[in-house]
Amino acid sequence: MEGAVYVTGMGIVSAIGNGVDQNLYALLHKQSGIVDAKLGEKTVKVGRVPLSNEQIVAALGLGHQPISRTALLGMMAAREAWGANEHRSNLRTGFISATSVGGMDRTEVFYEDFLTETPADFAVLIYHDSGRSSEDIAQYLGINGWINTISTACSSGANAIMIGARMIQSGRLDRVLVGGTDALTRFTIHGFDSLMIYDRNWTRPFDNTRAGLNLGEGAAYLLLESAKSLEVTGSNPVGYVTGWGNSADAFHQTASSPEGKGAVLAMKQAMRRVSPSAISYINAHGTGTPNNDASESEALLTVFEGRVPPFSSTKAYTGHTLAAAGAIEAVFSLLAIREKTIWPNLNFSEAISKTALVPVIEPQKQEVTAVLSNSFGFGGNNSSLVFSPF
Amino acid sequence: MASNTLKEELKKHIIEQLNLEEVRVEDIEDDAPLFGEGGVGLDSIDALELIVLLEKYYQLNVTNPEEGKQVFYSIETMADYIEKHKS
Amino acid sequence: MKSRVFVNAAATIGHQPVFGVTGFVNELKPLQSGDELIQPSYRDYIDPMSLRRMSKILRMSLTSAKEALRQAAVEIPSGIIVGTGLGCLVETEKFLTNFLTLEGLIPPTAFILSTHNTIAGQISLSLNCHNYNITHTQNTVSFEIALVDGIMKLEEGEDNLLVGAADEHIPFLDRVASEWGYAGLRLTSGTSFFVLSSMSSSHTKAEIIDVEVIVNKVEHLDSSITRFLDRLGLKADDLDVVLESGWKGGSPADTKKQGFIEYSGFYPTASAFAFHYAVDYLQTVDGAKYVLVVNDLNPNNLGLVLLKSVEI
Repeated sequence: MEGAVYVTGMGIVSAIGNGVDQNLYALLHKQSGIVDAKLGEKTVKVGRVPLSNEQIVAALGLGHQPISRTALLGMMAAREAWGANEHRSNLRTGFISATSVGGMDRTEVFYEDFLTETPADFAVLIYHDSGRSSEDIAQYLGINGWINTISTACSSGANAIMIGARMIQSGRLDRVLVGGTDALTRFTIHGFDSLMIYDRNWTRPFDNTRAGLNLGEGAAYLLLESAKSLEVTGSNPVGYVTGWGNSADAFHQTASSPEGKGAVLAMKQAMRRVSPSAISYINAHGTGTPNNDASESEALLTVFEGRVPPFSSTKAYTGHTLAAAGAIEAVFSLLAIREKTIWPNLNFSEAISKTALVPVIEPQKQEVTAVLSNSFGFGGNNSSLVFSPF
Repeated sequence: MASNTLKEELKKHIIEQLNLEEVRVEDIEDDAPLFGEGGVGLDSIDALELIVLLEKYYQLNVTNPEEGKQVFYSIETMADYIEKHKS
Repeated sequence: MKSRVFVNAAATIGHQPVFGVTGFVNELKPLQSGDELIQPSYRDYIDPMSLRRMSKILRMSLTSAKEALRQAAVEIPSGIIVGTGLGCLVETEKFLTNFLTLEGLIPPTAFILSTHNTIAGQISLSLNCHNYNITHTQNTVSFEIALVDGIMKLEEGEDNLLVGAADEHIPFLDRVASEWGYAGLRLTSGTSFFVLSSMSSSHTKAEIIDVEVIVNKVEHLDSSITRFLDRLGLKADDLDVVLESGWKGGSPADTKKQGFIEYSGFYPTASAFAFHYAVDYLQTVDGAKYVLVVNDLNPNNLGLVLLKSVEI
């Protein structure tokens, strides 16, 4: 197929597992990874990756280096996605990663010391720069040349995948590792809490009583290849990236427009080569905030003219992983294709009154012809991806 | 009826906290709607900032944005709320 | 590149008096210690209720963007593509300080304004533009990457892309530079916005011939430059000027080389200033044909942009 973008590798680390197999197991068995964590005096619900930095450093064989957790999580997932691939001089290989916090996990520790006039190591600030985390991950895998970092908050991961696909189609790259990574930080937890959209309880996406999100951390990458690359590597594709769309809501700095205008545009663009009836499953953005879920519901009804396919948000499993979300959920979408199973929306009891949409609440075995994955962000950046079976 | 000093103090806090550079205390009428067009023109981010302001300066907790809509309607309603909950 | 790429507008706000000025290359003087950031009257571009919530980098970016769109006579661009090295530092520092020191509720505004994509987001909000919107952050080559993305959009059939770069200085950066052994480095702020089109018009100032980005670089600088030019069928002799970051110091090997950091000051996306300089040079210097911008501000990463003059 001319200009086809093949997905030949996947890697993931999230609150529900280290690696594709563990994540799949948790999805099938409805096992959420959301736990309690202390934030000063308060307790918050987070989707934490149950591995310390030391454990990750050991698993990666790195030795003792104060690398940002964001980069460490990214290395785990990118390594899995890269798998047994080799570097080849006749294949131009790139790395496109998304992050919203970058090295903030290090910076915030530094800054607290700095403010209290405790001796602070200025050297850790080299990791603050978001681009640096991508360079570190690429370096770990021996990738150089095109390394690019996307930072568009919650839609970043999806945008990284989209740009990778476009670079393959434009002939600039033969294959590219794409995805995103974000570590939990006090900065982002306090940030969303200050916006009063952080639920003190376990998040309830698309539920009428939803009260906000739970943040999560993690990383995920896909390996995308062109037809030419496939001939050289002989990899087995999991599926295709069939469509992508990006738009700006341009409504407000933090809220989505009630009708989800930007979301509608992004979804329609992504579905340009696929008819609505071919979409078997939608992995929604579904953060559990009053605003997003209402706005996304309206947008879904508009795009699918009232006949919305089976959908769910998987954020009650993993938490909202910010820049990693679009990539983690891309992996879940491809797993839906591979396993012919669609994933449930946990913690749901009552549909939103106005839109009355009911998500899937049990893992459901069925034919999957195409999956739509949404990632709608802060600042109104909306992205959607469509994946199809090979 | 809340005191004029309280109302003036509120206006000063709001101008400072919300960075209303062009606005002076005299420009804000006591009963003018703070939100939306035709009033002072505040938005949902400002609503959150007002919640922080109330807690910081008056130790009062408006716990949700819905309750906030009534309390933050105007300087008058804010001042009344503060007076009512002061003790 | 599968499309021709014309630069139909260029607007920079920084420490040099170049905002809204064409033909500044001959007048430009290296930055002196007293040369502060030159900020236009933002109120002429942005309404007060929006302006009040904008930090320095946002005001500069939105104003540069609006000026660029005005120059190119474009109301709504097909895409807004921004490159930034360190993002919104003023607000990041503010929110960090807030949550680390405040008791009780934390004001949310600084958090909202601290994310890198606030720049592109704010521009789209101001213009009511629903089109492609993206923020790239790859430290010193963020701008070149933004350019490549814009060029791909042109190849995909879009036109009139708003592409720019932004970075802001905060005093804390001087402390960091000093601790890292770079005391005395002149750190500054700068935003530069351009409009790219596949068609030339009366607005056209220059043409982009090619852009290359190499991150985690393994080759020597000179080899990379030679290969880049070879691919385009060009030699060093064909170039009129080579703008090089001048980071390594020392005297240029030949009279064509010129540093640009001494004019822009040091900030991650300073190569966008160099790009504007190149555009201005080609537009105003008689007989000038090719300018190469060599961005090796970060020895690990390399950005190369070749620009050509256009016949009017």
